[in-house]
Amino acid sequence: MNAELKQALIDYLLAMADDELILGHRNSEWCGHAPILEEDIAFANIALDEIGHAIVWYELAADLSREERDIFANRMVYFRGAPDYRNTQMVELPKGDWAFTMLRQYLFDQFEMVRLEKLAQSSYAPLAEAAAKIRTEEIYHLRHTQAWVRRLGLGTDESHRRMQTALNELMRYYEQLFSPSLADTLLFQANMVPFQTELMVHTLELIVPFLVEANLIPPRGSNFVGPNDVIYRHEHTEHLNDLLSNLQQVARLDPMAKW
Amino acid sequence: MSDTHASDTQWPRYMVLHQEREDKPHQHAGTVHASDAEMALLNARDVFVRRPDCVSLWVVRADLIFARTQEELALNPDWLDNIQATSDRTEAYYVFAKLTQKAQFSHIGEVEAENPPHALKMALQKYPKTQGLVWWVFPVKVVLKSTPDDIAAMFSPAATKDFRDQANFHALSVLRKLMRDQKQEAE
Repeated sequence: MNAELKQALIDYLLAMADDELILGHRNSEWCGHAPILEEDIAFANIALDEIGHAIVWYELAADLSREERDIFANRMVYFRGAPDYRNTQMVELPKGDWAFTMLRQYLFDQFEMVRLEKLAQSSYAPLAEAAAKIRTEEIYHLRHTQAWVRRLGLGTDESHRRMQTALNELMRYYEQLFSPSLADTLLFQANMVPFQTELMVHTLELIVPFLVEANLIPPRGSNFVGPNDVIYRHEHTEHLNDLLSNLQQVARLDPMAKW
Repeated sequence: MSDTHASDTQWPRYMVLHQEREDKPHQHAGTVHASDAEMALLNARDVFVRRPDCVSLWVVRADLIFARTQEELALNPDWLDNIQATSDRTEAYYVFAKLTQKAQFSHIGEVEAENPPHALKMALQKYPKTQGLVWWVFPVKVVLKSTPDDIAAMFSPAATKDFRDQANFHALSVLRKLMRDQKQEAE
């Protein structure tokens, strides 16, 4: 693997890891606050799973960088500032209400399922193996979030209104998950990762009918066709700063501490 | 088992029955509240399948379970005799029993019956050697079950999650070691 391709793959892995880490952290904010006890436990599990997946991707990036896995992952998570994070804005938005949280998780899960199926065929074997393993867990996540989206979308006037509001908000950010970078083209040509546009088409084919069945109408302009403002992965909302100050608070008190 | 009262704003209760291995019976794991059976099954997975020892999960609404204790049966010895089959329209019922005070309800078998009391009568006749402290019967058709396809996604991932198993934290041995070290330092 030449240096340019390797760096592209590291960047790709970090972007994936950051999305999962930040979403997992946002989800963890429900711990102790979910609507019912059972869901509190279930959703905390999902939050832990996402953070676990982030660790897998950080570790693959560490191997490529020839760094110690633990040291690398800790540095990435605890000692980078917001501008160095590569997550999309969708996952850093505050957790909002339960409708927003469930819908965000559903949209992310469905995108991830589509991507993992493709990544499981990656020419980079460690990536293919990890994707196949994570995919089995995502099947369950998707089932869980689909169940909620359906019930809230078809539930009471209030639950439907909250879901539609969440959808209108989230669709403004969803497209960013599919924006390609120059490096992605290199990786695609090496058969390491899928083409972003292909992911977008497959994902939309799945989510649009599902949402409509749940009586939720994707807002106009969310077919991602036409001139939309591109958001780059180093651009963040102010919410990421708040999240990181919480996430990194303890580690930064004593950076040399052994855990 | 008490029924869900109309004034109760809580979601209905579902009994969760899990099977640890193919060669073991389904056993009562606990209860979850849920809006419906599908949600109950999903939440049952997260609440009760923390370790990978599960191959099958069932949920059944608690108010659909017909339950009688040994004492209740002993107090009304004639009660069962008065139950007679009146038609040939029967359906399959699951039979569960609690065999000791410490044990969970365990799957005993199935009977064909017209209604829940009739199912209990059939169960007592079919399993005369089973000393149930409490009996449960409920129609097979009201149970929502995981499928073999669910094992990979719902149950197996837990196998790699050591952090969920308290035994892996060695809390007691770590504590003892800390106390030993402290003691040695003091000496």
